[in-house]
Amino acid sequence: MPVQYISGFTVVFEVLSRFWPVWIALVIVMGASFAYKKKLALYGQLFDSGVGIVGVGICLFWLFTAIFAATISPFDPLAQIPIMKDVLPGAVEPQSGLTYLFGGDKLARDVFSRMVYGSQIVLIIAPAATGFALMVGITLGLPAGYYGGKIDTVLSFLANLVLAFPVILLFYLLVTPGIMDTPIPYGMAGVFFLFPIIFFSVLFWTRYKNRPDRLYILLGITLILGGWIYLGLVFDKDPLHIVHIDPNQLNIFVAVVFASSPGVFRIVRGLVMDIKTRDYVAAAQTRGESPWYIMLWEILPNARGPLIVDACLRIGYTTILLGTLGYFGLGLAPESPDWGTAIKDASRLLRSFIHPALPPTIALMSFVLGLNLLADSLREQSMKD
Amino acid sequence: MNEAVRNPAKPTPGPTKGPIIEIENLSISFFTRKGEIPAVMDFSCTVMPGEAMGIVGESGCGKSTVSLGIMRDLSNIGKIVGGKIKFQGKDMGELSDEELRSIRGNKIAMIYQEPMASLNPAMKVGQQLMEVPLIHDKVSKEEAYKRALDMVRSVKLPDPERMMRSYPHQLSGGQQQRIVIAMALLSKPALLLLDEPTTALDVTVEAGIVDLVKGLGEKFGTSMIFVSHNLGLILETCDRITVMYSGEAVETGKIKDVFDRMRHPYTQGLFRSIPLPGADKNSRPLISIPGQLPLPHERPKGCNFGPRCHHFVEGVCNAAEIPMIEVAGHEGHFSRCVRFNEIDWEALPPGAKKVNERVMPGAPVLKIEDLRKYYRVGGSEVFGSSEGRVVKANETISFMARESETVAIVGESGCGKSTLAKVLLGLETASAGTVTLGNTEIQSTGIDKRSVDTVSSIQMVFQNPFDTLNPSHSVGSQIIRTLEKFNVGKTVADRRKRMLELLDLVKLPRAFETRKPRQLSGGQKQRIGVARAFAGDAKVVVADEPVSALDVSVQAAVTELLMDIQRKNKTTMLFISHDLSVVRYIADRVVVMYLGYIVEQGTTDQIFAPPYHPYTEALLSAIPIADTSVVKKHIVLEGDIPSAMNPPSGCPFQTRCGYKKLVPDNLCETKVPPVKHLGDGHMSLCWLSDDVLAKMEPVIKFDKEHAAHEGMPDDASHGDGPGFAGTPPKRPRGKRPS
Repeated sequence: MPVQYISGFTVVFEVLSRFWPVWIALVIVMGASFAYKKKLALYGQLFDSGVGIVGVGICLFWLFTAIFAATISPFDPLAQIPIMKDVLPGAVEPQSGLTYLFGGDKLARDVFSRMVYGSQIVLIIAPAATGFALMVGITLGLPAGYYGGKIDTVLSFLANLVLAFPVILLFYLLVTPGIMDTPIPYGMAGVFFLFPIIFFSVLFWTRYKNRPDRLYILLGITLILGGWIYLGLVFDKDPLHIVHIDPNQLNIFVAVVFASSPGVFRIVRGLVMDIKTRDYVAAAQTRGESPWYIMLWEILPNARGPLIVDACLRIGYTTILLGTLGYFGLGLAPESPDWGTAIKDASRLLRSFIHPALPPTIALMSFVLGLNLLADSLREQSMKD
Repeated sequence: MNEAVRNPAKPTPGPTKGPIIEIENLSISFFTRKGEIPAVMDFSCTVMPGEAMGIVGESGCGKSTVSLGIMRDLSNIGKIVGGKIKFQGKDMGELSDEELRSIRGNKIAMIYQEPMASLNPAMKVGQQLMEVPLIHDKVSKEEAYKRALDMVRSVKLPDPERMMRSYPHQLSGGQQQRIVIAMALLSKPALLLLDEPTTALDVTVEAGIVDLVKGLGEKFGTSMIFVSHNLGLILETCDRITVMYSGEAVETGKIKDVFDRMRHPYTQGLFRSIPLPGADKNSRPLISIPGQLPLPHERPKGCNFGPRCHHFVEGVCNAAEIPMIEVAGHEGHFSRCVRFNEIDWEALPPGAKKVNERVMPGAPVLKIEDLRKYYRVGGSEVFGSSEGRVVKANETISFMARESETVAIVGESGCGKSTLAKVLLGLETASAGTVTLGNTEIQSTGIDKRSVDTVSSIQMVFQNPFDTLNPSHSVGSQIIRTLEKFNVGKTVADRRKRMLELLDLVKLPRAFETRKPRQLSGGQKQRIGVARAFAGDAKVVVADEPVSALDVSVQAAVTELLMDIQRKNKTTMLFISHDLSVVRYIADRVVVMYLGYIVEQGTTDQIFAPPYHPYTEALLSAIPIADTSVVKKHIVLEGDIPSAMNPPSGCPFQTRCGYKKLVPDNLCETKVPPVKHLGDGHMSLCWLSDDVLAKMEPVIKFDKEHAAHEGMPDDASHGDGPGFAGTPPKRPRGKRPS
């Protein structure tokens, strides 16, 4: 039974229409943001420039794609339908009558569905890893910049060590099966995931020390929530069995946090060294505030602008990094639909079939481009006033 | 709609004899996201060859925009929307970009506030200077070097050859500014635009620059437009003055006419709010201008100053836009006020006349004895080099402050006044000596070891209003946090109540509670800073130049506020400042510091009258005073303040002192002078003998037959009220006939 094809125009139309939940969500969110942009501070100002709108648009597009992946994709990203092996875009799968919109790959899986599901992996790992890297970088960068001296020397030296080490080599080391069997990844995860808990506890403790009514509630929430997630992620012993992460993904996660936190550290350290010379910091010192209060409540809020921009760019880097890792077959399972692995799989047969390689490449590129545009526009808008 | 201000003696137009620059009804707008913002409206002025025109006004009044407009250097959002600028008879609007470029830097040169920003840090000074003749006059390298060297000499820089070989960062701020001036003069410009050229410099260095600028007109025949916020500087350097307010020129005329017989209420308000000699915090307090500058897009109809003017008449002042109106009897004197002939210029604004009772200082609150603070510098942290030098930031500081007394600490940058403040507040600990607050010694207890009581009883008001509040938190929460820290109030509601009371205390509306600092003006922020300092009923408040960054009219209001609260709370105030006019007005006692030493201390009367310490004398002479009746002794110090890293031997001031030759045996260069007691607690750190000191003359004198009264028109009444126009000022408080 020969495979039927639909025309190129129909493919485009089909692709656009498959994304219908994304379009609806985009229209609602963008419309609302546009209508209330005056009240939305920095986020609202993004809508003043074309670059900002495009950046937000692309990022939201991929966010909604990840959320609605199950609705959008016609096939299971792992399902193999032998007849569809290496089919060109627009091939109709005879049994269900649905189309392989971007064709099939060498294992006869739907490229379109894999691209859509791939966004889920990227959009979970990249922002979360960046978030943890931020936590680690901030928690270490604040004292290094504020105290200077020995603390700064030691921490900066460590950061330089990590930065000086070739990233790919580092990943090879961290993600090789030999190391994965040792307790090293879990040990590192245990250390890194401790930082958010420490960060928020100190944050609330310094602010509400004199107001026990608030302090205990906030500290309680932090410790219970943090402890629960910590148990689930590091020990995989979540009593409710909700929080769970694959050992493979945990590994990648730890590696990414490890590689990008020194960057955050350096930025935070530099910002703190600048901001600590301001009079309001001196004013806080003269009323006897503790150093950690000053770092977390006087300095950090005023460093948020550059940090937000950096976070956006960093999510982009992390996405590329995940792609690279996938390309080298590191970390994630070989059949995983993430973009990097998909590009690797397709690259083996690039000379005969180019179509399985293009969608994940373009997806990766457009998402990073969107993040960069967003970061650019954020920087520009925050400089304006 | 407006008559251009022309010099009546204007000859027929021609490139040589006519005015250098004629600005006619110039309007400049900026186009931003929020639409068109008019920055300058209907501005006219004429500058003749060799003449100096001063443009004065508060921040945001458009004075810098005018000078940028002349250079046609408005950024891409600024645009000239009306009027003409004629340079040497040619309309600059009709010139091509090419022609404009040949005028800029060649015939019109500009000098900015920050000298380092105008110099290329990667090029030697000599190269940068030589570029000017090389590019503009296409001369040979040797010729260019010769011209550059001559110019460096004529801006009175020491050791010109060495200067030519140095990089900009190797020079001090004053020297850099002289290089910038030299660079501007090298192209022999017909017009020199100076935009606050001395604001970033110390007072004694400023005096040198002013001295240099004053001579330029005569020496090179250069016309000048001098933009400044400082009326005193304009008086010393300019022939004519234009006062700007909210984008418009409100008054223009000869210096003497405007200073002695101003005909615009805003100009008068400015003069009433600066502490001229004769103002007194008890008997004749400053009168500030109420309200604040309107935002460019919220300007009222008619007179822009209307809402803040106490001569405002409904239906007259806000009926139509007001043109510049000529003042009868004066040549070239115009005012943008429709009522200036009806106004009683002697009258004080209602409620302004108040006399405060003199507060008697009580028991000593703060005692500082032989305080020293040394810093060790140098040596890297990582590879711990053993070499380190000691910077002596404070040396043998001893003085005392009583309850409800104001002690001023005067000195220029690097004199150690900020270090002293840090030690008092516990941000640093002293190297030796004692600081006694009440009955406790606090010199070696850092802030983290001080009790809440001690911390709240010594507090600080900071200099920079834009830096003193954390931009991320609301005003109310910042005050509440301070209260929380000082254990004021038991519950959240208690503290909020107290915070609102504090807002009342500093005369701000209670609605400011939820505002973010960026929504406040500079003066309002500084008031919040004051509220925060007084939150825990501080016994001692250290005010570090609390008003120097504020506009003139706001300065007066904040100064008065500080003193009101001080009177009420019987607070001791340490007022750190470099501005002796404010110090004379506010302080009971004065401590003069130089390079870490106290060189002179005594009551305000003692400090402001001879015998002086030579440094105090120079400081007094350096301060520009906006009063035409004042005659100052002219002392310009040579050189710059030595670095604290490498202080001179002997007396700290010996490198710049003009009296050194009167001391025998070269004592000044070898030994630190002893503290000389001149009676009644007046102390001076000087080797000068008693008979030299006795011969010293007062620096500031009033010219009794004041020249300004010559040709005084009949309509200027001679009252004896505290108005400034037409009244010979009384001798300043603290001046004893010597």
